[in-house]
This record gives sequence, C-alpha cells and structure tokens, in this order.
Amino acid sequence: MATTTATITLSSTDLLSDELALSTTATLTTAGTATGVTQASGLSRKTTSAAAAAAIQANVLYRAGDYLANGANKVYIKNTSTTVAEFYTVVIDQEVIGRLYAGDWMFMPWIATSGTKALFTATIDATWAVGDTWEFDGITMTAASAGDTPVAIMAQIDALNYPNWTTTYVATEATIIFTARYASDATEVVYATADSTTDTAGDGTMVISGAAAGTASESDITIRPSVHTDMTYETMLIHQ
Amino acid sequence: MATTTAAVTLTSDLLSDNMSVSASTTCMKAGTTADGLDQMEYAYVNLVTGDEYDLIAATPTASKASKLYLKNHSIDETYFVAITQGTQAIGKLYAGDWMFIPADFHDAAGEIAITANGGTNKICYALFHEGITLNASA
Repeated sequence: MATTTATITLSSTDLLSDELALSTTATLTTAGTATGVTQASGLSRKTTSAAAAAAIQANVLYRAGDYLANGANKVYIKNTSTTVAEFYTVVIDQEVIGRLYAGDWMFMPWIATSGTKALFTATIDATWAVGDTWEFDGITMTAASAGDTPVAIMAQIDALNYPNWTTTYVATEATIIFTARYASDATEVVYATADSTTDTAGDGTMVISGAAAGTASESDITIRPSVHTDMTYETMLIHQ
Repeated sequence: MATTTAAVTLTSDLLSDNMSVSASTTCMKAGTTADGLDQMEYAYVNLVTGDEYDLIAATPTASKASKLYLKNHSIDETYFVAITQGTQAIGKLYAGDWMFIPADFHDAAGEIAITANGGTNKICYALFHEGITLNASA
C-alpha cells in the first residue's frame, strides 16, 4: 500500500508570550478507512498571463466531475510569485476561499461534488452508402462500406474519440448515448443537437431521439491571478 | 513584527518516483513583507455528531491574508467533519487529517463552519489574522 503523508509545522517565537511550535503529520487515507490513497495528479507548475488586466481569466485547476465525490481528496496549491502584492484568488464553485499571496501555500480537503452531465440518445436508420458522413463535436464518421447497416454505422461512431463527449453503445443496437464529459447546464444539449450534421447520398438518417439536460458542477476549483503579467503557481491533487 | 512560519512537507511512494514536496511561508499581512500577521485565535473543541460549529464567532477583516489551520484529532478513521463556507461544501476532514487555507471572510457567507459525523470529533483550530470585527451581542 502506498503511503502518503502531509506534515505541517507552524512556528513563531514572538507572536505569543509563549513559543508557538506546532507540528503534525497526517497519513492520507481513503474516506473512512486506514487504506492509503492510491491516486495523485503529480506536482504541476503553470505560469499565468494575459494581454491586459481586463483580459485576466480564471484558470480551472480541477473539475469535480473527473474525481470521486465525497472522497478524502486533498488539494495543494502554492503561489510561487516573489512580488509581495501579487496573489491568486482561490475559488470553489462560486465561493471565494481566500487569497494566496506571494509564497503562500494551502492544503485542503476537496469534496469534488459534481453536477450532472447532459446526455442525448442518437438513433440511426435506413441504408448508408460508402463515404456517407455524420459529423459531431468536430469528429466525422465516414461510412466504411456500401450498404452499411445501422448497427455497423453505430459501431463506427462508437469507435471514434470525441473531445467533449463519451459514448455508451450496446452492440447490435442502432442507438448510442452521448454523455458530456463535464457537468454543465441545459444549453449544451441544444448545442449538441445543432452540432450534429448528416451527409448521405442515400436515405440514411441520424436523429436525436432523446435528451436530458445537465446541471452545473458544484465544486470545480479555479484560481484567478491578481495581475496580467506572469505569475506562477504549483498544484497537486491527491485523491481516491 | 511577529514572525509566524507555516511549512508543509508532502511525501509519497505513490508515484514511480518518490515524491517530496516542501514549502514554507512567513504569514504576512496582505501585500507586505514588512509586517507579519500578529493576531491569532486557538481552540480545541469536541463536536458531537450532527453538531455544526462556526469556527469564527467574530468577523476577521475581509480579503486579507488570514490563514486558517484545522485538524481533526479523532482516532476512529470513520469520523469526519464536513467543512462548509457559507453554503458551499468544501470537503471532509477525516480523523488525523489537517488543512491550512487562506481565509477570505468576504462577508457573512464567508464564514467557515464544521459539522461532526460518525461520533464525537476532537477538533483543534487556529486562525491567524490581522484584525477582527466583533459580532454584536444577541
């Protein structure tokens, strides 16, 4: 079993009349067990900048939908800036946690509660000719052979990699379920429907036969730099 | 000037290469290198399951460089406290876990609360700050 530890030392000789010397170590385990956590993102480092102050954007550090909700996840973030007035504002969902000034670091548990992901069901029918296409999410499926059956076309669609969606497909069926990779609100379903285009020489069809709206994620972690000039942060996620 | 140092070391054999991450910061007032955080509150509380406890009874000056340390001293691994800020769930601090975060306290919704689960949790916390506004008496 992997062993991951986090040690903090808080010290001061002049804050109080008595010396402050606090040190403690936590062995990071999965929720409610003595089993060590098994996954980590590894330490990463990124420099943020923008063309002007008005163009500063938040950076998404971790999307809740990518991790186990309610796990004993831990997030480490450090502002490596050396300019004292520069800070990152750390936000979870829409709630400001606080400011990390130059040299400051933080270590906190993370609940990783996601929203729900939009999904839709696509149903294919009729006969597709070789070269007929169905395009979605920037990816084009091209029918491999003349007279492809709906099931054969679905298998080809399922085999492709979509940047913003995953697929659920049961062989021998003429339907496939697309699920958004990230939780978001209802507008994405509308977008998905509009984004689907079919180009067939015959009578092949692809219709959106069902859809469900998603809801926004509830605990994505973002940070926003205080200045548009270069600032650098380091971060790591230890999770279940 | 008070000098308070917060250091962290993260180690693990989880990855192919052994991980050892260390960082140390001197807790300064917002945007300065000349003046350290010079006030603190420190407490130890027992929380019965279901009890919600507002960590900060007063309101530290908002949008500063306040720091909050919190440790769950419980031993039973199934015990935890749920951390919330306003209505936002932050995470769960299980037995033996600790956290150290900047605390914004931007308004009443920025208050941090903990709720005990599993049994009576033993919680230690410290807030380092640069001034508070006392709440009016009820």
